[in-house]
Amino acid sequence: MTKDFLNNIKLGVFILASLSFLILLFYMIGKNRNFFGSNIKLKSRFENVQGLKSGNNVRYAGIDIGTVEKIEVVNDTVLEVEMIIENKMKKFIRNNSIVSIGTDGLVGNKVVNITSTKQNAPLIKENDILSSRRPVDTDEMLRTFSKTNNDISLIAKNLKKTTSDINKSSGLWKLLNDNAIPESIHSSLSNLHTASEQINKIIKNTNSIVDHIKSGNGPIGTVLYDTAFTQSIKNTLRDINKLSNSAITLSNEAKATVDNINDQLMNGKGTINKLLKDSITAENINISIQNIKKGSDGFNLNMEALKHSLLFRRYFKKIEKENKCKSEN
Amino acid sequence: MSKNNQIDELPNIKTENKVLEINHLYKSFGDNHVLVDFNLILLRGQNIVVLGKSGSGKSVLIKCIIGLLKFNNGSIKIYDQEIGHLNATALDKIRAKVGFLFQSNALYDSMTVRENLEFPLRRHWIKLSQNKINEMVVQALTDVGLVHTIDMMPVELSGGMRKRIAIARTLILKPDIILYDEPTTGLDPITGKEIIKLMVDIKTKYNTASLIISHDMNCVRSASDLIIILLEGRCYAKGKYEELKSINDPKVKQFFE
Amino acid sequence: MNNSVLVKSFFAEVGSLSRFSGKFLSMFFIPPYEISALFKQCYIIGYKSLPLVGLTGFIMGLVLTMQLRPFMIDYGVESQLPAIVGIAIIREIGPVITALIFAGKIGSSIGAELGSMKVTEQIDAMEVSGTNPFKYLVVSRVLAATFMLPVLAVLSDAISLYGSYLGVNIKGDTSFHFFWTQVFDSLEFRDVLPAFIKTYFFGFAVGIIGCYKGYFSSKGTEGVGKSANSAVVVSSIMIFILDLLAVQITDLLGFN
Repeated sequence: MTKDFLNNIKLGVFILASLSFLILLFYMIGKNRNFFGSNIKLKSRFENVQGLKSGNNVRYAGIDIGTVEKIEVVNDTVLEVEMIIENKMKKFIRNNSIVSIGTDGLVGNKVVNITSTKQNAPLIKENDILSSRRPVDTDEMLRTFSKTNNDISLIAKNLKKTTSDINKSSGLWKLLNDNAIPESIHSSLSNLHTASEQINKIIKNTNSIVDHIKSGNGPIGTVLYDTAFTQSIKNTLRDINKLSNSAITLSNEAKATVDNINDQLMNGKGTINKLLKDSITAENINISIQNIKKGSDGFNLNMEALKHSLLFRRYFKKIEKENKCKSEN
Repeated sequence: MSKNNQIDELPNIKTENKVLEINHLYKSFGDNHVLVDFNLILLRGQNIVVLGKSGSGKSVLIKCIIGLLKFNNGSIKIYDQEIGHLNATALDKIRAKVGFLFQSNALYDSMTVRENLEFPLRRHWIKLSQNKINEMVVQALTDVGLVHTIDMMPVELSGGMRKRIAIARTLILKPDIILYDEPTTGLDPITGKEIIKLMVDIKTKYNTASLIISHDMNCVRSASDLIIILLEGRCYAKGKYEELKSINDPKVKQFFE
Repeated sequence: MNNSVLVKSFFAEVGSLSRFSGKFLSMFFIPPYEISALFKQCYIIGYKSLPLVGLTGFIMGLVLTMQLRPFMIDYGVESQLPAIVGIAIIREIGPVITALIFAGKIGSSIGAELGSMKVTEQIDAMEVSGTNPFKYLVVSRVLAATFMLPVLAVLSDAISLYGSYLGVNIKGDTSFHFFWTQVFDSLEFRDVLPAFIKTYFFGFAVGIIGCYKGYFSSKGTEGVGKSANSAVVVSSIMIFILDLLAVQITDLLGFN
């Protein structure tokens, strides 16, 4: 009998040991899942919860403070997430905190993050609905990513085509490799230079003519002594002056460009990088040359007009004569 | 000699003395007809030996009597109660009055001698006090002369001692009928004789009726008041030892050679 | 020809095992109840198996941890070792290993014990002594096995986890408290409950098969050996089948 009794004691200890471990196990899990202790219920609304499930952790500043209790569909675009939060956190979380859904690690479980904002606000109460932040949707992220990728690939394709075009384009190469171009530019520039010198001369001459007329010395001086006429001449002269100034800037620009091109031609023959740069330069050069041409054409036209103008015809003829005499002498 | 004669011999037996009556017992295992038409009447204070060859259905007979095997047809009555029709509770009540000594003793290996003897007591007579039980255990062990083994395990005992303990376990319920299944099988002749003597002593002391299954002629001669020869599922012959020995039928004679 | 006999005998075996289980259920609800026999069997089947089960559980936890560590390091998640081992032990290793050890120890001992009782007519003797041997022997053993295996499995889980803790600390340095926190943090009710519940079925299977094989043991000492052997084999297979069923059911119910 006593042996049986002893055996029953051992049996009892054995079973109780097991039972207590089981209870401990359940208690620990229950504690992690907030089945015990006082809790507070919070809610938040989302458009998309991205696979959040009841039982997922709720974190505040990175520490686990509760779990997701349930997720309800309120209507076709709103989901309400109900969270169970440890009561002791009531003292810290304010009702303007923002709820977002995140991931534990890159591929881990979903977690609900409660983030506090800087502004002051009352503390949370039971059943408060906190505002939510639209979660970073990895799907959407990937979608954008893929679109960007497509764009980049398109750009790369174009770039490839452009460079191969440049490589293939014999004209451009010719332009860049042709030594005649800078020379012709040089000659254009020297032409321009002479043109502007001539302009200077003309202006000087014109000034003397005007002085002449003013003093009434000329044959038509008295007839033409009229302020309106003078004004118009002055305007003409100012225009000519402007033109010559712009011609000077133009020639400076052209000079810099030519220097630049010389540099390029000396140092940077062949590499694609340089080519790209050179193509722009070449374009610039073209435009410059055209501009210069246009400018000098315009100037010539002006000069021609001036020659044929009634008033200056005589003067010019006189100059021609003088020139003839000089050349004869 | 014939079975009709056997029944005719017992017309004037008083019913109160009749403890066991078997009529037209039929038992088969599939096509194996073990008992075909067996009749037997056991009286108070009578030792009947059923003699038969191995596999002749002797063990089946007493297992049918105690209700361990269901028989197909006929009737077995203990104190006028039909064994075949009893429910479990009533059967247990009958079994308390019938001791059964198994051929292999059937001592519970996991229990001490004391627990072995206590087991049927506690089972059948639930309300006994511990003191009474102890007293009865010691009494039964004294009857078989093995009080000193009371706290030993069955495996520590010799074959003869185990047989005695088994008898003590049968006796402890003070049964009216004891069924012995080959009590001397597997024992040396001297121990066998001791067991036979014990059986006779028990009969005289407690006035029990016994049905002994055996093919040991020593046992048959010393313990029997009446011998029934079981052949082909029937009572082939019946009588006292000397009577049967003088019969000239070769089927009977083969047992007495 | 021979095959059809084998198939038939297989089905016959399944049928009579089911009938035996049905008899167990009906006997289980009918009084009288063999309470003291049940306690005795609980002591023998449960308490006495603890050292064996505890040892295997301890070694299992230790070995599992040490085996998993290199791969965890390869994947750079060595810190998750306690969580992984904890889940493996609680969900699968603990219950199944315990049940298999239990089947080896208890299934064979029940099979051999009942077999030898059958052969030496002790079962008949019980019946003659006014005891329903089915209740006294079978019901008590099956119940004891059913209730003790979960107890053993839980203790084995605890010991395994301790072994795992030691295993983690062979090459690392984790405090006991942190180890437990990691293990429990990774666990959920759906890990523990199905694993715990299935051990009841394992225990029942070991008990009922052991009893069945012993109760219908053929005559002779060879029959006893055979019934002990087949009790272990059949109950071990049964444990795996039940394990498969359990995981499917928990899957269906959404607890997985």
